[in-house]
Amino acid sequence: MKQNDPQFNRFGNLHHFLTLDGLDKQTLTGILDAAENFTSVNDKSIKNVPLLRGKTVANLFFENSTRTRTAFELAAKRLSADILNIDLVSSSTKKGESLLDTLRVLESLQCDMFIVRHSDSGAAHFIAEHVAPTINVVNGGDGQHSHPTQGMLDMFTIRRHKGEFENLRVVIIGDIKHSRVARSGISALKTLGAAEIRVVAPNTLIPEYVEELGVKVYSQLEVALKDADVIMGLRLQNERMNSATVPSMGEFFRTYGLTEDRLKLAKPDAIVMHPGPTNRGVEIAANVADGKQAVILEQVNYGIAVRMAVLSITMGHGEAVREAEMAGTT
Amino acid sequence: MSQATNNSTIKGARLIDSAANVDTTEDIHIVDGIISSKPATDSQVIDATGMVLSPGFVDLYARLREPGLTRKGTLKSECHAALAAGFTTLLCSPDTHPVIDSTATVELIRQRAQQGGGARVIPLAALTTELEGQRLSEIATLRDAGCVGASQADQPIADTSVLLSAMEYAATFDIPLLLTARDPQIGGAGCAHAGAVATRLGLPGIPAATETIGLARLIELCRDTGCRLHISRLSTARGVEQIAAAKQAGLSITADVGIHHLFFTEKHINGFDVNFHSSVPFRSERDRDALRTGVTDGTIDAICSDHAPHDTDAKLAPFPSSAPGLSAFDVFLPLLMQLPALLDTPLSKILAAVSTNPSRILASDKVASTLAVGETANLILFDPTTPVQCSSAKLLSQGSNTPFLDCDNADIHLESGLPFSGKAHTAWVRGEPTTLSQ
Repeated sequence: MKQNDPQFNRFGNLHHFLTLDGLDKQTLTGILDAAENFTSVNDKSIKNVPLLRGKTVANLFFENSTRTRTAFELAAKRLSADILNIDLVSSSTKKGESLLDTLRVLESLQCDMFIVRHSDSGAAHFIAEHVAPTINVVNGGDGQHSHPTQGMLDMFTIRRHKGEFENLRVVIIGDIKHSRVARSGISALKTLGAAEIRVVAPNTLIPEYVEELGVKVYSQLEVALKDADVIMGLRLQNERMNSATVPSMGEFFRTYGLTEDRLKLAKPDAIVMHPGPTNRGVEIAANVADGKQAVILEQVNYGIAVRMAVLSITMGHGEAVREAEMAGTT
Repeated sequence: MSQATNNSTIKGARLIDSAANVDTTEDIHIVDGIISSKPATDSQVIDATGMVLSPGFVDLYARLREPGLTRKGTLKSECHAALAAGFTTLLCSPDTHPVIDSTATVELIRQRAQQGGGARVIPLAALTTELEGQRLSEIATLRDAGCVGASQADQPIADTSVLLSAMEYAATFDIPLLLTARDPQIGGAGCAHAGAVATRLGLPGIPAATETIGLARLIELCRDTGCRLHISRLSTARGVEQIAAAKQAGLSITADVGIHHLFFTEKHINGFDVNFHSSVPFRSERDRDALRTGVTDGTIDAICSDHAPHDTDAKLAPFPSSAPGLSAFDVFLPLLMQLPALLDTPLSKILAAVSTNPSRILASDKVASTLAVGETANLILFDPTTPVQCSSAKLLSQGSNTPFLDCDNADIHLESGLPFSGKAHTAWVRGEPTTLSQ
């Protein structure tokens, strides 16, 4: 499998981090274990480790983001890398410069890693395919396809609270159709062996043939929540509300909002997750978002450790390639 | 490509002309550009043992890109590439820049095509000005200027009352409409078949319903207006059923399918391969199999190239932002030659789908397709068994956007287990031979 997967280099090492689809259990567990080690770094007063000293990481965000960009920035800094934030939303691409031209310019700045967010599904794959072979590409979210570091921090949060995945019943609520977070979560949960994944939303937010991803589709939240161990909310984008997709915020909350009463249908120790930012009173009631079962802020915190793990693992292998090429063993 | 002497004797070829029920191996002669039963004294003999001689292919849908998009292709480059694919006549789509909605553009194309040589070009008129779907083009004038039909290219008419009016008007002059069935809204923002693969890859989908609803609209208006309607580039199983039912009901409807749609499915876009990004998307296996059956049972009358050459930059983008379409001419013949075995159908039937049937659909003396003695030679002589490798050095089309480019084993994409072979030897266009065997 690794031979055909563009994420792996010819030595079989994880070189890019583009999607969780196709990564095996061992790879995912390896990232979670590494993140576990980094959480202790984050708890110390001096939070830096010198793993990526002298490396330059560029945040290439073609789409607006504060939270994800900041989390990557912090992760890179704690690994002692230099980080370059390049705002591409308002600059070059608007002037008609092609994505590839932009990449070539950034390549010439001698960066070692690109962290990419782009509104096109497959953009991270495209960039990984076309950058110089020494550069690592990490997907910070591509269109509706994948958000693999979010997926991993979700898995990390679940593992911290629940230990193993095998017996877990996970419910994902809301806009599955347009959500890269949902796709990455589903893919990782399948690989890590979750017992059951349920998705629940009005049919307008469920993509075609989603069952083939290995999930069960529910239309009634109350039914879907029964005996759940993990409940994942998704952000409903503003443009989906008051449209032909969802008639109103009010109706969505009435039918699919996670309230205290509904939460009682899940297991008493169920955790409530959300990638943020939450729409209180739309996907989730304020008292649930702030309640004792919510782990939403923990997710944000773990996001740093997980991204430190992803950056160091992919970059570590990048180093091996560079050394091999310099030694002429190619 | 060198010019042979004008008089030829073709020895030992298998002659196939399904319209005339001909499938025989005998010698045939071309004298002063006319198919003849007797040789001229200076006839050059072509040893065509093992080869096939067919009426020249007629392509019902190809983008030739000139005028306006010559970075993607020119009339010269594409018409020569078409000839090597077996096409002696091409209907060029009206989505050039400017759009083919004026006689000046028709005249420009006619002149450029004549200078460039290769296959003969017959423009399709834009049914509405600028293809905008609001005002009718002067289709009767454009017909007189040389267009054999009218089309909306990839832009469906959004306003159904305009569509009704366009079909009524076209029916008045008996001008065939070659339209792609598509609902103007559903799937408009999509880039891949709305199915399991697009769902996994997070690609905006194009539901099959866009075709079936578009088709229902066209069929009902065809029934009411009595216009001659040809459905261009069918893609769904349900669409094939709709065409079959409309034919059963006696409507004057015909249909074609793009050659690649008989091979590829949504699975081919795995890994975001932009080479499989097509404006009419590759759909499920069930859809593809229904299209194959449609060709076998005659519901689908013709196979077109849906040729869409692009410049390299157009495909150098993430899947949703890459330009849709596949360059088809350089691989058309080897793909076509797989169909008899793949569909368990006689070669004559497959050749009819690219020659005599398109000619019948257009019912225009401009696109006669025949082996009959006394007619002007528009013929293609090819060897179905010559292996083909689509290498960048040998490409004839300006578009290198084909998944088969520099691909050591074409069967990686086709999974048919059949040889990738079929090479044109000589084409005759309006009686003039062009040797293609080098």
